[in-house]
Amino acid sequence: MKKLSGKLKTDVKELKSLLPAEDILTFEFVSERGLAFAVVYADPITDKELLGEQVIRPLLRYEGEAAAQAVAKQLTSPEIRTEKTFEKLSEEVLAGNPVLLFEGADEGVIAGTKKVFVRAVAEPSTDVVVKGPREGFIEDVKINTSLVRRRFKTGELKMDMVEIGRRSKTAVAVCYLEGTSVQPVVEEIKKKLAAIDIDYIPDSSYLTHFLSSRPFSLVKQVGTTEKPDIFCAKIAEGRVGLLVDGSPIALTAPYLLIEDFQSSEDYFVPPYRATFTRLLRLFALIVAIYLPAFYVAAQLFKLQLFPVKLLLTIAGSIRDIPFSPSLEMLLVLLVLEVLNEASIRMPKYVGMALSVVGALVLGETAVSAGFVSTPAIIIIAFSGIGLYAVPNLIEQTSVLRLVMLLVAGSVGTYGIVLATAFVILYLVTTENFGAPLVAPFSPFVKRDLRDTLIKYNLGSLPERPKTLKSPNKRRLR
Amino acid sequence: MNRISTRQLYFFLACVAPVGKLVLLPAQLANFAKNDLLFPALVQIVLSAAAVFCVLLLARRRMTFYGLLSETFGKIAAKIIATVFAVFLLFAALLPLLEQKLFVQSVFYDTLPSVASFAPFYLFSVYLCARPIFCCGRTWDILGPLAVVGLAGVLVLSAPSADYGALLPAGAAGGSGFLQGFSGAFPWFFDAALLVPMLGKIDYREGAAWKGALFYLLGGLGVLFFLATFYGIFEEISVNQLFAFSATSKYFSGVTMLGRIDFIFIYTLALVMAFYCALPLQGAVECALQAYGRNRVLPAVLSIAGNALLFGLSLALDYKFADVLKAVSGTVFWLFPVFCLAVPVLLFLFTYKGGRSETA
Repeated sequence: MKKLSGKLKTDVKELKSLLPAEDILTFEFVSERGLAFAVVYADPITDKELLGEQVIRPLLRYEGEAAAQAVAKQLTSPEIRTEKTFEKLSEEVLAGNPVLLFEGADEGVIAGTKKVFVRAVAEPSTDVVVKGPREGFIEDVKINTSLVRRRFKTGELKMDMVEIGRRSKTAVAVCYLEGTSVQPVVEEIKKKLAAIDIDYIPDSSYLTHFLSSRPFSLVKQVGTTEKPDIFCAKIAEGRVGLLVDGSPIALTAPYLLIEDFQSSEDYFVPPYRATFTRLLRLFALIVAIYLPAFYVAAQLFKLQLFPVKLLLTIAGSIRDIPFSPSLEMLLVLLVLEVLNEASIRMPKYVGMALSVVGALVLGETAVSAGFVSTPAIIIIAFSGIGLYAVPNLIEQTSVLRLVMLLVAGSVGTYGIVLATAFVILYLVTTENFGAPLVAPFSPFVKRDLRDTLIKYNLGSLPERPKTLKSPNKRRLR
Repeated sequence: MNRISTRQLYFFLACVAPVGKLVLLPAQLANFAKNDLLFPALVQIVLSAAAVFCVLLLARRRMTFYGLLSETFGKIAAKIIATVFAVFLLFAALLPLLEQKLFVQSVFYDTLPSVASFAPFYLFSVYLCARPIFCCGRTWDILGPLAVVGLAGVLVLSAPSADYGALLPAGAAGGSGFLQGFSGAFPWFFDAALLVPMLGKIDYREGAAWKGALFYLLGGLGVLFFLATFYGIFEEISVNQLFAFSATSKYFSGVTMLGRIDFIFIYTLALVMAFYCALPLQGAVECALQAYGRNRVLPAVLSIAGNALLFGLSLALDYKFADVLKAVSGTVFWLFPVFCLAVPVLLFLFTYKGGRSETA
């Protein structure tokens, strides 16, 4: 690594040669005592007002010696450090931190006057609550770490910063509570992050691939959240969190499947209500996955599953439908998925029109025209709603629903039973960072069941989940 | 966590193992022992519990089945015995598989489906058998509660229709009926043999042997209650009710209003049974792996080979179930007491060293 020579013109030329882009500018000035300075900065991402106020103005009247440490003391910016090599200095310029060079100095002074373009901290649309904190993470890692730091006023909270991405050099904060998080898990995460050799990380979801023990698995192996309160609660339980610059979605590990059935609101309402809503979520998920499949299997292979009166109603509805039950259900499901995809991507002002087209034109007219039956629409609608009861598992459950439907159409109810057996076997054998995915159900941990589908009150949860193996077992004294 | 915990073992013995005895066994026992069907079942349960006790006592040494054999009889003899035991487990898997196939074809479909309808089971079984055997423990944590829900649901819906007085007077079937029922029930009580390949993978805790036997007896009580309910409902025609647990609950009065809600419990039990029926195959694969070494592909190869063999047999014997039943529970029934009772007891007598748990 090449070091600074102490000759201003040569050093500026050398630094500029590493940064040939047109938006890298140099501002040269001379102090009242005749010391020549040059500031090299990236124009679009440097706060020039701060640069002038905190760096240039104090130096105009500088009368001290031409040494980096002495110059640094004159600056009023709270983030000041020095570097000797051009490579490090150029990295800082590209990160938005201007570099101050001056005649006779073998070190460059870096000022933290980065211009940050961020949206306001707002409630995330994917995790809305009636009771409880409404803050959500945003795309800036510094603000996100501040949201976490604000909640833990303890030196035990560690935020180890690492950079990932050969070109993006994305900042990733590994957050954990020393003495509460499991140290081998922290080390394993750091090791996995260090092993990533990719040029660009656009979002935290890229990291999940590298952190998962089964990268091609259908099921999630790393937890995600957009809310600092949930993030902090998970860290407080002994998990390790990751905040990735440019992403509002934070990651947590180890991840347990049951986490996605828990909402932050469950902890702010009475336990019986939380228990009821969690069971409701499970019921909704089961209905979402199995209802279309059982409807098709019952029609094709086992009519006894319907009560007689319902059977007569269904028979009346499907009499003139030109498609087989499985094809009919598949078509309606496909329409739902397309509508869903379009409604997410479309501009908001088209949303209303889309609802009208989806509900009236496709729904009503398709039934009137005799393409699909009313029960099929009702079942898919119910299944579609059920899917959103557990929003963090939508990707997985929608695939499972399709698989179950295909199996039911070809093998019938026994196919559904076998597919369920496959899913159970797959889930119980998946673990990541030493935590089994379906714990505390398998392996069965009786104590941890108190905050799963059944939610006990806070006084009954004095210890951290045993599954996470935290060295600091008690949280309530 | 790559071991089977004692809790998982108890789930298996008390909840999962009884499910395999609820399909054809009740009709088989009613055929021979009539209203005395509880007695041969009770004796079988007690004997199996004793064998389970012996196997679990061996588990405290934390050595595999092959390890125990090779330590006692030398490597060559151990290889032979382990292979023979694996072949027996394949043989033991045949009847439950055919039984399950018939059950599925008659209960899951309104009309008789093609033979291929049961074929997906073998895909599942291939996948299960290729997994390490400790995975069973994890599945039992889920299947145990499911089995309890399924069995309790079926019993709650069935019990009101049962006339338990039909079991009286006790002893009416006589000694020969008891003996025939007893010997004919052997193919359903091979649970101790299923535990043998798991030796060395069980995380033994002090007292697990007698607790395991006790849990097995507890599960056995559930079976006996079901048998009593079954006979209480069907009495003389019990012998014709081949798929017992799907038949007993359909007389629940709510069925006309709500449809066959009992299918929720029947399907739950069918899910548990799918795992239970694949277990002897998994045990066979494990025995072979212990004897001949383990590498990356061998579990998958053995799993595919074992399942393909049984799939082929189930196709070949598709219309010969009655003959198979007659042969397995009649002509060669003695194989079961030999491998499921004698082998665990002999293994225990030859290899048990007493004292506290050893480390592998």
